[in-house]
Amino acid sequence: MTYETRMAWQNRLLLVPALVLLGCFILIPAVTAIYLSFTNDALSGYAASHPQLVGLKNYLRLFSDQGFWNSLIVTLAFVFGSSIVGQFVFGLAAALALRRPIALRPLFNAAILLPNAVPEVVAGFIWISMLAGGRYSTLSRIVGLIGVAPQNWLESAPLLMIIVVNTWRGIAFAMILMTSGLSAVPAEVYEAARMDGATARQIFWHITLPLLRPTIFLYMLVSTAGTIAIFGLIYTLTRGGPGGATEIIGIYIYNQSFVAYQLGYGSAVAVIMLAVSVALGAVYVRVLKVRV
Amino acid sequence: MASISIENVRKNFGAVEVIKGVSFEVADGQFAVLVGPSGCGKSTLLRMIAGLESVTEGDIKLDGKRINDVPPDQRGIAMVFQSYALYPHMTVAENIGFSLELKRVPKARIRAQVGQVAELLQLSELLDRRPSALSGGQRQRVAIGRAIIKQPRVILFDEPLSNLDASLRVQMRAELQRLHQELRPTIVYVTHDQIEAMTMADTIVVLNCGNVAQWAHPIELYRRPGSTFVATFIGSPRMNLIRGMIARQEVMPSFTAAEGWTVPLAGRNLTAADGQPVWLGIRPEDIRLVDAGSAADLSCKVAIVERLGAETYLSVVNGAETLLVRVQGDVALRPGDTVQLALDPAGFHLFDQTETRF
Amino acid sequence: MRQFTRAQAAAYGFLTVTLLFCLLPFLWVALASVDPNATMFLSLPKAITADHFVKIFTANNGGRWFFNSLVTVGATTAVVVIVGGMGGYALSRTNAWWKRPFLYAIILVRVLPPTALIVPLYKVMLSANGLMGALVRSVVPPDSTRAAMRIFGFVDGYLGLILVLSAMQLPLALWIIKTYFDLTPKDYEEAALMDGANGWQRLHRILVPLALPGLGAAGLLTFIGAWGDFLMPLTFTSSAELQLLPIGLFRAFQRANTIDYGYLSALALLYMLPAVAAFGLARRFLVRTFTGGIKG
Repeated sequence: MTYETRMAWQNRLLLVPALVLLGCFILIPAVTAIYLSFTNDALSGYAASHPQLVGLKNYLRLFSDQGFWNSLIVTLAFVFGSSIVGQFVFGLAAALALRRPIALRPLFNAAILLPNAVPEVVAGFIWISMLAGGRYSTLSRIVGLIGVAPQNWLESAPLLMIIVVNTWRGIAFAMILMTSGLSAVPAEVYEAARMDGATARQIFWHITLPLLRPTIFLYMLVSTAGTIAIFGLIYTLTRGGPGGATEIIGIYIYNQSFVAYQLGYGSAVAVIMLAVSVALGAVYVRVLKVRV
Repeated sequence: MASISIENVRKNFGAVEVIKGVSFEVADGQFAVLVGPSGCGKSTLLRMIAGLESVTEGDIKLDGKRINDVPPDQRGIAMVFQSYALYPHMTVAENIGFSLELKRVPKARIRAQVGQVAELLQLSELLDRRPSALSGGQRQRVAIGRAIIKQPRVILFDEPLSNLDASLRVQMRAELQRLHQELRPTIVYVTHDQIEAMTMADTIVVLNCGNVAQWAHPIELYRRPGSTFVATFIGSPRMNLIRGMIARQEVMPSFTAAEGWTVPLAGRNLTAADGQPVWLGIRPEDIRLVDAGSAADLSCKVAIVERLGAETYLSVVNGAETLLVRVQGDVALRPGDTVQLALDPAGFHLFDQTETRF
Repeated sequence: MRQFTRAQAAAYGFLTVTLLFCLLPFLWVALASVDPNATMFLSLPKAITADHFVKIFTANNGGRWFFNSLVTVGATTAVVVIVGGMGGYALSRTNAWWKRPFLYAIILVRVLPPTALIVPLYKVMLSANGLMGALVRSVVPPDSTRAAMRIFGFVDGYLGLILVLSAMQLPLALWIIKTYFDLTPKDYEEAALMDGANGWQRLHRILVPLALPGLGAAGLLTFIGAWGDFLMPLTFTSSAELQLLPIGLFRAFQRANTIDYGYLSALALLYMLPAVAAFGLARRFLVRTFTGGIKG
């Protein structure tokens, strides 16, 4: 057997465990979800013991379900506000700022990293103190200093609040990725640009940003997908309320499956969510022209 | 020490044929250089000898035995990579001694042998450093040390000097030659630099995109290049090629250049036909400047003068022809001056339309 | 002599605002954890006490939760680093026809939300659990069945939880390690091969040391991801002995009448610490550059 064939077999073998893990615990359930969505399976009641195929009934139900559409819109706003705008802008700005000679850099780094380092449940927990309780919440007390009336933030502006919380949480990830992307740009490129007479703004738009494109792709993709999948953070904060105002799609599915016990219906929503995620991945790959 | 035999070797990468039937031999203890333009498969050929690429067709033999299917770690061949590939997390001593360590040679022996090799390569003071703390030339020597400590039958070099600056390159060329003289391993050396080839090789294989253009001793390549490719590749500055045709004037055959001037071709057994288009090759060093009034073959106008002190390169123009002339010593000519050239008949090379020598 | 340009001032200003934004929410939990009269709201404690921390380990199972989390997530990290290390290496080095599809599949899987998978996954695990149960019962004496199932069970067992957590973290790890190996030239492995190293020697003398930054980054990110995972433990563990920290915290928080904010804050801090420590370590790996063995 030649060296090359030996290596080829070795590569195949090395991938088997990964394939098994991913296949059993992700791919098979994904396919099963598709199957389930065509049934009326449930956690209780007659259908639990005798699930039947019901064709597209679940999907048709989705179309006229106000809750579903609401959830979709909430999720879109959530993803756009926190992941695409909030985290990215803060993260990129932080990455750029920290590339300069800054005193106390470790301190700034650590502070920005902290929100991302803590587990979801803790993050939700501490923001409750920030936001709930009307006059006594920390946020009310802060904005009170500039004359804004205290409110029960989680009730008066729930969507905005979860966007803020998720932005707070995700700056670090954006910053880390942007930093590594920025450092992959060799210093000589900037020097050449400066010798060509480019201003800082031109350098940013025409050199830094284009060279950051693959990094930005990776960030957008992973961050968006991750944000869609968020559950614990928001569940701890609002459980999806009030009145579905923060019922992001993950919570909607959970409520439909484990609270309303509608496994079939919940699976249908899950399948839609899977399809959207996959479509997202495809769009990003195409638009940002990434090659693997 | 071993001899290598490459027999009709072909290599395909998918649908692309990169090596198109190459054959040559390297005798025991010879320093063979594979030279050719970049991207022409030289490194691929080397890697096939090492065993890192498979052979699509043909045989590679070591001391007469076919080694196509022998894994690279069992061929007794060492390789110095273009990037040196020094293990960054090990010291110089550990890098060099790694192969011995793998064979479980006792530590004392390893230290002794590493010490010997280090002395040979003047690395003794650097043994505890990491590769990142070494200069390019030093890293290269470590890579060589790592190769020779294995006492391999063959050492392969993949463009080892291409990343060094000019003066270091000259120095390393001398070092490599010294090493070869002292240790006498069989060496196969890949480079795109014909100067390296000419100065170090016992035998040169000139490769032109997957084919062997010519395989011969360096001076033979210089004196009798088999094609215009080899003629212009070997020798610096490169050989002049002049278009023209053969004219058999009753008694004596001659070459008539496209620009009209003619030189006699005495003493050659030419089987060419009258009017046959050919190339006349003549090296810059075989062209002399003659004073006005003496016998000259053609007259040209000087376009560029490059004065190096010990010699001068003149780029001269005659109509559509441009020739390079190499003159000993310093010549104070200026662009625009007219010069008379005499071509040395001993330096004539004739190539037919297929660009091969005849 | 430092030039304090406008850009520099802007950088400092921005960073300071961001710093305050990031740290402010933590103030409450830090203070409340040592405040004997902690409430849900930010206030300066009038006295300091360590009671809350002590209570975690003496009462209310806090110590047990901590242990479970440590064991499960630690094992998950080991599994992911090994499986991901092998897979990432193979993905980087191969040029087979299945390389591109596999990589796209990883992106795809990475993009799938766990909440969408949880239901069918539960059904899969249930059946697997049945099989495992049969296996265990045939091998182990009846008294130890429960204990064995707690370790090897797929539902309500360490094994199942570890596997599920590993599967969730694997795609990112594969990607990180593959990218890392992409940046590592094959030269080192080939040089080692020519030096006479067999597969195992190449692996532990050359590949692993060289891959440490990548493996370290993947390992730390896996740890952080699995440590904070809420959904998987929620779904797959029910018996009290198996509860992990996030579930313990969440449930304690749900006891509406008697929420002991001091205790919860202390628990939250304890829960935070390993994740933060892991993050701190990850930074060192992410920053290390890679020079020396390759010229230029």
